Amino acid sequence: MIAVCLKFSPPPGIGGRAPDGHGFDDRFDDRLGGVSPADRAALEVALRFGEATGNDVVAVSAGPLAVQRVLRDALACGATAARHIVAALERDSVDVAADLAAAVHGADMVVCGDYSLDRGSGSVPAFIAHHLGTAQALGLVDLDLDLPDSDGAGRGPLALRAIRRLDGGRREVLAVTTPCVVSVEGAVALDGTSVSLRRASLPGLVAAADAPIEQLAPAAHRSSTTVSHVSDFRPRARILGSPTGVVTLDRVRQLLDTGGSVAHGETVELDPRASAERIIESLRHWGYLS
Amino acid sequence: MSDASLPDTADPRAGNDVDVVVVGAGPAGSCAAITLARRGLRVLLLERGPFPGSKNMYGGVVYPRILDQLIPQWWEEMPVQRWITRRTTMVLTDTQALSVDFRTEAWGTAPYNGATAFRPDFDHWLAGHAEAAGARLLCSTTATGLLRDTAGTVIGVTTDRPNGDVRARVVIACDGVNSFLAKESGLHAKPDPANYTLGVKETLALPKDVIDERFGVRGTDGVDIEILGGTSGVNGGGFIYTNFDTIAVGVVLKLPKLAAQQRRPEDIIAGLKAHSAIAPLVEGGELKEYSAHLIPEAGLAMMPQLVGAGLLVAGDAAAMCLAAGIWLEGVNFAMASGMYAGEAAAEAIGRGDVSVNGLAGYRKRLDDTFVLRDHRKLRRAPALVLSDRVQHMYPQLIAGVAEGMFRVDNPAPKPGLRKLLATERKRAGVRRRDLIRDGWAGFRTFG
Amino acid sequence: MLAVIPVRDGRLPLGGAETADECGGRAVLIGSGARDSAASVAGDLRCIETGEFRPAAWARALAALLADEAIIVLPSSADGRDLAPRLAAELERPLFTNAIHVSDTHVVMTRNGGLTMHTVTTPAHAIITLQVGSRGVDPPDFARTAATVLHDLTIDVDPMIRDADVAEVLEPDAASIDLAEAERIVGGGAGLEGQERFDDLARLGELLGASVGATRVITDRGWIEHQRQIGTTGVVVDPRLYIAFGISGAVQHTSGLGNPDHIVSVNTDASCPMMLRADLAVVADANTVLTELLTLLAPAAPGESSEPEPSNV
Ligand SMILES: Cc1cc2nc3c(=O)[nH]c(=O)nc-3n(C[C@H](O)[C@H](O)[C@H](O)COP(=O)(O)OP(=O)(O)OC[C@H]3O[C@@H](n4cnc5c(N)ncnc54)[C@H](O)[C@@H]3O)c2cc1C
Ligand SMILES: Cc1cc2nc3c(=O)[nH]c(=O)nc-3n(C[C@H](O)[C@H](O)[C@H](O)COP(=O)(O)OP(=O)(O)OC[C@H]3O[C@@H](n4cnc5c(N)ncnc54)[C@H](O)[C@@H]3O)c2cc1C
Ligand SMILES: Nc1ncnc2c1ncn2[C@@H]1O[C@H](COP(=O)(O)O)[C@@H](O)[C@H]1O
Repeated sequence: MIAVCLKFSPPPGIGGRAPDGHGFDDRFDDRLGGVSPADRAALEVALRFGEATGNDVVAVSAGPLAVQRVLRDALACGATAARHIVAALERDSVDVAADLAAAVHGADMVVCGDYSLDRGSGSVPAFIAHHLGTAQALGLVDLDLDLPDSDGAGRGPLALRAIRRLDGGRREVLAVTTPCVVSVEGAVALDGTSVSLRRASLPGLVAAADAPIEQLAPAAHRSSTTVSHVSDFRPRARILGSPTGVVTLDRVRQLLDTGGSVAHGETVELDPRASAERIIESLRHWGYLS
Repeated sequence: MSDASLPDTADPRAGNDVDVVVVGAGPAGSCAAITLARRGLRVLLLERGPFPGSKNMYGGVVYPRILDQLIPQWWEEMPVQRWITRRTTMVLTDTQALSVDFRTEAWGTAPYNGATAFRPDFDHWLAGHAEAAGARLLCSTTATGLLRDTAGTVIGVTTDRPNGDVRARVVIACDGVNSFLAKESGLHAKPDPANYTLGVKETLALPKDVIDERFGVRGTDGVDIEILGGTSGVNGGGFIYTNFDTIAVGVVLKLPKLAAQQRRPEDIIAGLKAHSAIAPLVEGGELKEYSAHLIPEAGLAMMPQLVGAGLLVAGDAAAMCLAAGIWLEGVNFAMASGMYAGEAAAEAIGRGDVSVNGLAGYRKRLDDTFVLRDHRKLRRAPALVLSDRVQHMYPQLIAGVAEGMFRVDNPAPKPGLRKLLATERKRAGVRRRDLIRDGWAGFRTFG
Repeated sequence: MLAVIPVRDGRLPLGGAETADECGGRAVLIGSGARDSAASVAGDLRCIETGEFRPAAWARALAALLADEAIIVLPSSADGRDLAPRLAAELERPLFTNAIHVSDTHVVMTRNGGLTMHTVTTPAHAIITLQVGSRGVDPPDFARTAATVLHDLTIDVDPMIRDADVAEVLEPDAASIDLAEAERIVGGGAGLEGQERFDDLARLGELLGASVGATRVITDRGWIEHQRQIGTTGVVVDPRLYIAFGISGAVQHTSGLGNPDHIVSVNTDASCPMMLRADLAVVADANTVLTELLTLLAPAAPGESSEPEPSNV
């Protein structure tokens, strides 16, 4: 069995945040929000692997009732079964992962997105791997399935070749065998070509509307961390590197420049043609255009 | 791997064979689906957007009386912004404004009259009733064409999904103003831009108490202001109405004029908002949304044939929107025509005759009710209200008379009304003959 | 507070020095070439020389070693992001991710793709990942450099614990190098409305002698190859000129941007971080401005003249 974990997130500012700005409201509306591009790619990867190996594909999501929408979408696209862990939306990722791990127990491969839209930490897949005691291959940009001869498909461990992104444009080629947990980026390539989620067929969509979704209760966990304050992003004041340069003026300028968190430029509001002219004028002035 | 080669999870025919396909989950489509599903028919309701209402203009004033027949006590559950208890009709010139203001407490209590509502909420709610009645709603699914048998009878639709053909005994096109299905079916004559107006609207956020204070209302009471003039010389009209903590300001503009003047609709709204009578109402509102949409406004003059073999057309797709000056009602006409289309389709299916004749009950129902009666009655209204005289000269005339009446011009004595009228008529450049003729036309149209 | 910094081949990861500074110089450097990597940090350093990156096995071994540390901070680099949850799980501690500020009292984290911040009270014990580029590094402190102490530690990495095997490490490919070394970059974000706009952007790049970069939103859509993603999980660049079209300027993007001499930003929202950071902030639709720039800059094609050609067909 191949499991795919999908996280449904409300759009920022809507539903997720309680009216008083503190804590979270679980009763968000399933019309808005959705899954991350990475989760969409994860679903396509799981479906392709399922098809290639003759495995069932089980879609799993933890959260309030609204998450059933993504599970139905997954069923419509061809997932064989769906499991819904009925829980609050905003819980510590370790607890979410423990429930997901229990729900996907026995899976040959667990496919996750590299990040969820709201938390975006990429930590849930690593926690799942911990709970299942398997290897992890996270943040993948490329994935190949080395299928043994066709009659061997579906039995025994499978070998995967995966490329994971490192810092500074470097990448790491990993060899993993199932069972394992992988997480994929939104534009992950499968056997060399980047995947995008298929469109559900009309019969698939109709069948998914009535398909049963198994509901699971979350295990009891210690209470999750409470967020004491939610606000719009503001950059932290950055520490200044000590000024370099021979010219005093340059050093002073560096000291005055706070590394970009403060406005120091000019703002103009012009029609498109005038905007373009203004940009070209600045580029000339700065010496990038003659 | 292409979509087509994917194995289907279900029997390929499951769901692809229903009694009725309703295209478009707007007010017309949902009411058709509710009606049909309650009669035990298998209904597929197709919606192009990710959810009903997602593609629709953000809000409007709806008059849901017709829902008494489908959802008794609808006012207890309908997602409402404010109940309209105050209607103002305003005539603007560049520097003047004259308002007629009407208020009634009756519209602020059950069974209510009209309300402002956000279409994403309203359409979603109505489609929820269709689903509850047993209709199957499929979103993000666009109907792309009609299926016909050799005799030309419509027997279903094609969609943009893999394996997406759906067969049905009757198709009801409720796909809105640009109805592609009505066009494809040949029921529509070639669209003439002169028959459409462009509606554009800004939604502005203001704190609820500021709205209450500026518009003189409390609680969930709200205001609807219809405006004649103020559209910077482009023939049309304006409107302002209050939502819970936003207000909508918009204009409805005659297309050929707009094109001829090369004006941008945003600029015309900006002009309206800057008018001295409007500015204090909208000041400080933060722009939340800007939207533009066509309105079929020529009413009967542009209505397509409403019935084809195996096909009915309802709502804006059939130009059912009543846009006649101080009225802008589309949702109620859409809901009613959808409901009647549903009844007629059920009847025809029950009799096993979905030919043009078998579906004739639709036209009859429309003829017998407000849907076509109002349209017949007001058939001259759009042309009259959008005529150059009504648009450009009469506001001048009316406001001029009012200013003359209320001006204190001592030591000169107050002018007599007749004399004032004559002077202002000349000043506004209105010929007496035209005034009398338009007055008569107005009386016949609205009287 | 203690920094745990996974290093590779004697090199610190992205955000490694920042993380050490956030912890006042108390750091564990773990990986291949741990001691070499210590050259670029100052403070109280412990070096653990291990082989290739093995998050599960390292976490088990580190847990035993660090059981008494109250707050452990890792950089949100590729390896930090993979190791932190495993460590948190082994130590049974809460994990706070993408933090931009860590203090004794509060942890501030970014959420929703950098749009919002969540603040939590710092608990007694926690694992935290620090958002790369959110802090900046301390100016060189001679006292601290002088007082730097290095210890070597060894841990037992259990070979039975399941981790993926590293088959090879691929050096940056041409597109990444091109971007990383570019003096001028034109970048596109979600404000550009379609994939065709990135063809336009490429043409503008040619006209300006600039390379093309993009945000994750765009690379996720597959509108441009992921090697062109600028930011913490993409390429870190350091151009002199950056022109941003429809980019909001989330930390994860700007922290990979270096410190350009000149930034131009075209955006409909005058108050987003990219606009605040720009030298020239143009409030306009990025799509039409892009088109206009191409018309203004494009040299008239040879043979193309305003005179109608005589038709001889
Ligand atoms: C600016 C403006 C202001 C207005 N104000 C008011 C007002 O205040 N009060 C009022 O009563 N009326 C108002 N109207 C008119 C009103 O909006 C319409 O008359 C009404 O929405 C018509 O309903 P409908 O169901 O026929 O069509 P719509 O509401 O347009 O619904 C059509 C639906 O079909 C879907 N669709 C279209 N094509 C396809 C396809 N091929 N496949 C699947 N789905 C498809 C669309 O996504 C849409 O959901 C206003 C209109 C405008 C433009
Ligand atoms: C762990 C982690 C790692 C990440 N790594 C990276 C990374 O390496 N690189 C990266 O880029 N991101 C990264 N992200 C994502 C990052 O947080 C942001 O979500 C992303 O950078 C936003 O991209 P954007 O600016 O294109 O989109 P948005 O934030 O959606 O911004 C779009 C902008 O376009 C403007 N706009 C809209 N329409 C127009 C128009 N017509 N004309 C002009 N402007 C318009 C809007 O005002 C807005 O400012 C990461 C996130 C996480 C959590
Ligand atoms: N509540 C959840 N339900 C199902 N899957 C989840 C959930 N939260 C996270 N995931 C998975 O873990 C990945 C990373 O999420 P995160 O750690 O929140 O960034 C997501 O892309 C999903 O695949």
